[in-house]
Amino acid sequence: MRKLAFVSLLILTFVIAGCSGNASGTQEYPKKNIEIVAPASPGGGWDLTARSLEKVLTDEKLVKENINVVNKPGGGGEVGWKYLKSKDAHTLAVNSSLVLTNNLLGQSELTYKQFTPIATLATEWQALAVPADSKYKSATEFMEAVKKDPSKVKIGVGPGLGNDDHLSIVQAASEYDINPSKLNFLVYQGGGDVVTALLGGHVDAVTTSLSEVKDQHLAGKLRILAVSSDKPVEGLEDVPTWKEEGIDLVFPHWRGIMGPPDMTEEEIAYWDKKLSKMVETEQWKKVLENNDWEGFYKNSEETKKFMKEQHDLYQRLVKESGLVK
Amino acid sequence: MDISSFLDGLSIAVQPINILWIILGGFLGTIVGMLPGLGPATAVAVLIPVTFGMNPVSAIILMAAIYYGAMYGGSRSSILLNTPGDGSAIAATFDGYPMAKKGQAGEALAISAVASFIGGLMAVVGFIFLAEPLANFALKFGPAEYFLLMLLTLSAIVALSIGRMIKGFLAMMVGLALSTVGIDTQTGVYRFTMGIPHLSEGIDFLIVIIGVYAIGEVLYNFLNIDKQKKEKKKVGKVWFSKEQWKRSKWPILRSGPLGFIIGVLPGAGGSIASMISYTSEKQISKRTEEFGEGAVEGLAAPESSNNAASVGAMIPLLTMGIPGSGTTAVMLGALIMLGLRPGPLLFEQQPETAWALINSMFIGNLALVIINIAMVGLLVKILDTPAKVLYPIIVLLAFIGTYTLSYSVIDFFLLLIFGLFGLMMKVMDIPIAPLVLALIVGTDMEQNFRMAVLSSNGSLGVFFSSGVSIGLVILTMLSLCYPLILKLAKRKKNMSEDEDQVYKSS
Amino acid sequence: MKTLKLLMPAGLTIFSIVFLFASLNLPKANLGNPYGPIYFPLGLSIFMLIFSVIFFIQELKKLHETNTDIKLMLSGRTPKLILFTIAAGLVYAFLFEPLGFLYSTMIFLGALLFFINGPKKWLVNIIVTVSFSFISWYAFSQLLGVSLP
Repeated sequence: MRKLAFVSLLILTFVIAGCSGNASGTQEYPKKNIEIVAPASPGGGWDLTARSLEKVLTDEKLVKENINVVNKPGGGGEVGWKYLKSKDAHTLAVNSSLVLTNNLLGQSELTYKQFTPIATLATEWQALAVPADSKYKSATEFMEAVKKDPSKVKIGVGPGLGNDDHLSIVQAASEYDINPSKLNFLVYQGGGDVVTALLGGHVDAVTTSLSEVKDQHLAGKLRILAVSSDKPVEGLEDVPTWKEEGIDLVFPHWRGIMGPPDMTEEEIAYWDKKLSKMVETEQWKKVLENNDWEGFYKNSEETKKFMKEQHDLYQRLVKESGLVK
Repeated sequence: MDISSFLDGLSIAVQPINILWIILGGFLGTIVGMLPGLGPATAVAVLIPVTFGMNPVSAIILMAAIYYGAMYGGSRSSILLNTPGDGSAIAATFDGYPMAKKGQAGEALAISAVASFIGGLMAVVGFIFLAEPLANFALKFGPAEYFLLMLLTLSAIVALSIGRMIKGFLAMMVGLALSTVGIDTQTGVYRFTMGIPHLSEGIDFLIVIIGVYAIGEVLYNFLNIDKQKKEKKKVGKVWFSKEQWKRSKWPILRSGPLGFIIGVLPGAGGSIASMISYTSEKQISKRTEEFGEGAVEGLAAPESSNNAASVGAMIPLLTMGIPGSGTTAVMLGALIMLGLRPGPLLFEQQPETAWALINSMFIGNLALVIINIAMVGLLVKILDTPAKVLYPIIVLLAFIGTYTLSYSVIDFFLLLIFGLFGLMMKVMDIPIAPLVLALIVGTDMEQNFRMAVLSSNGSLGVFFSSGVSIGLVILTMLSLCYPLILKLAKRKKNMSEDEDQVYKSS
Repeated sequence: MKTLKLLMPAGLTIFSIVFLFASLNLPKANLGNPYGPIYFPLGLSIFMLIFSVIFFIQELKKLHETNTDIKLMLSGRTPKLILFTIAAGLVYAFLFEPLGFLYSTMIFLGALLFFINGPKKWLVNIIVTVSFSFISWYAFSQLLGVSLP
């Protein structure tokens, strides 16, 4: 027994020594393993984005260093991004419009300006859907009814106000001269619950990601009135865009990646090079297809500009939605 | 259903590689389910990277096997250590742990495995024949119906605390109060988060379960730690007696379908199913007074029910692409990554995939009952471990389990607070189950109530507007009045038959 | 010592009052009914207060009866064990991230075992500590892929 204890202690010592003995040469960035922060629990959208990045970058041998996905859920991304802020350039984090809205809604001190934009990777589109037997046959008909009496039309949204599902319809309403704060929302806990509520006829319409309702539309269980894309979506050519319905609205639900503050130009250039290659790979295209995402690649420079535009847009939408005064 | 796709599915499910995945997943799920805080959702989530390289059919089979494996495993620790691994295993502590204390640990483990097996099997058969109509039935559940279902669950568990009603109600209210922490869904207002971003998504009920049950139980056992006798505890036989089977047979057969139907409802799930089965069995039993003291049917019923519910939860996932529970939500995410999109088109476009999964559930349940019965002899050995070594290990597992929930040490402080709270509750003889279940259903209950009122423009009539809601109201009244009636009249038998009929007619 | 019974009901009463005031001070909603987020916690806190007071009175009436659990809780080394476990948990929380999983776990588990199981059984304690820390580290971080510090 005594021997066993000694041996296990010995093994332990070696293992620990092995772990801490990291070679630190003077080679270029990246000098050590890369960490991608998913500011959510395993299994969610951000987690899947982070893990897809890890897989494609590794499998295609674009990044030689090990890539680890770290889950830091909480506060709608806040916890993970705070963690990112305290790290060096070897840590990146997945983001989405929440990095803008958390601050605009007064829920977070962090702003997008405190991070280094790396890339915008993919987008989903937003859909407005009604039950298959709904009296609203088109998006304009629907908006007209809402305009007449906003309190009469129950709109399902989830999992919380201030997200893209909510704000996309806020923008549509405001383009149609409806006061968005008068809209009658029922807020469900999850995207799936919203669809159940619509199929069960408990709400008159829902605003959600296209992927949540696409199959149901194809199966004839509900009807999508409009999508927020700039041109009709492949496979859903019968569904008009908001623009085709005469409402000036293109609303991407984008996902991207950002780094901690003060990354050097050399480090940013590294990721521009790697990620621009990655988005061209077959494997990444497969990821996009499986998730019903669309390629939306913007490099660091474009992303910086895009974030600024998005910030101004969201600032307006959050105000119009009536969520903040 | 169509026979040829059924057979296609069967032939996929019996491929050796898939049988291997079923056994592996079932085994892993059982182990993970036993550990405090590590439920099926965590187990499936951490395996996502592993499934990346697999073909989608094998992946869904593996994930489903983990899911119901965890249902089997969750009650192991409930029975042996009074620490449920997950919400759906709470009901197994009520009679399972007293059985183990009476020296019937082996029998308890065996009957719970068999009950789970039968419940699961009934649910799979139900799945094959009733998937479509049940999915449509579930759609009828609007906010009002959900609110009433949650209310029924709460009243059923409070009614369990006969003789200490005040304490039962208090425990429930504390649970409800805890459930209000976090963002208010309807309005986006932050409630009681005290400026901690970590709390904005609410207090995870699993932390509370681990705290009050695992840590609380260990602390409570310190009260007698130096007085425990050295002699070996009796663990009884590893198989149950004929008498025990006779008592459990009908409860198992009744609870299976009940759990299955509740499982189909998105958001309800195993915790509610097992709780409702337990209370309804208690109320119609001739041996009501034995419940809570180690009545074998009080363990068999919820076990059958929660396993059936886990199968039922696959229905909305597969037929509509709608996850009905935390675990199925994670599964959905993983399947989409693999390019398999469950939903209304799945049965049309890839019937063999859907049927392979359904058939794998048969095989899986068979494998699991064998695994679990084989493990009985091994598991009861846990009770032979000296308590003074076992307790530190349980405490450690509780901490690790908590960390895996959200990778934050802030949860450790919550864990300790709830551990102390659990100790005080045990010392003061306050029932714990109402606290935990109120926390589990609290948010949904409040939000659904408000949505129901909002959607009917402020009228409360919405709670009496459908057959389902009226049935639920009647059941709630019955379960609340039950303890009173019990006091007034001892004519239990007549009563129970009436109630049974109400159940069926709802 | 008998008054210790009143600790829990008194604590719950105070909790209810705090919860009541916290509910009253909740921010009003900007969308929909401004009092929407407030009704439920407010009503709940009132009921909770009533029930806590009843609980308090119940215990007050039974003050002369001894609660054997409380007696046990305060006798022998039980209070020390409880406090030590809580304290060890707190220390573990502070060491977990700076020291990393393996070291902090060995300290935590070792401390608990030595305190609960007694230093006389040091060999068992060390073996369990080392093997269990290592197994759990391996199982969680290697097999299950949980990101541990």
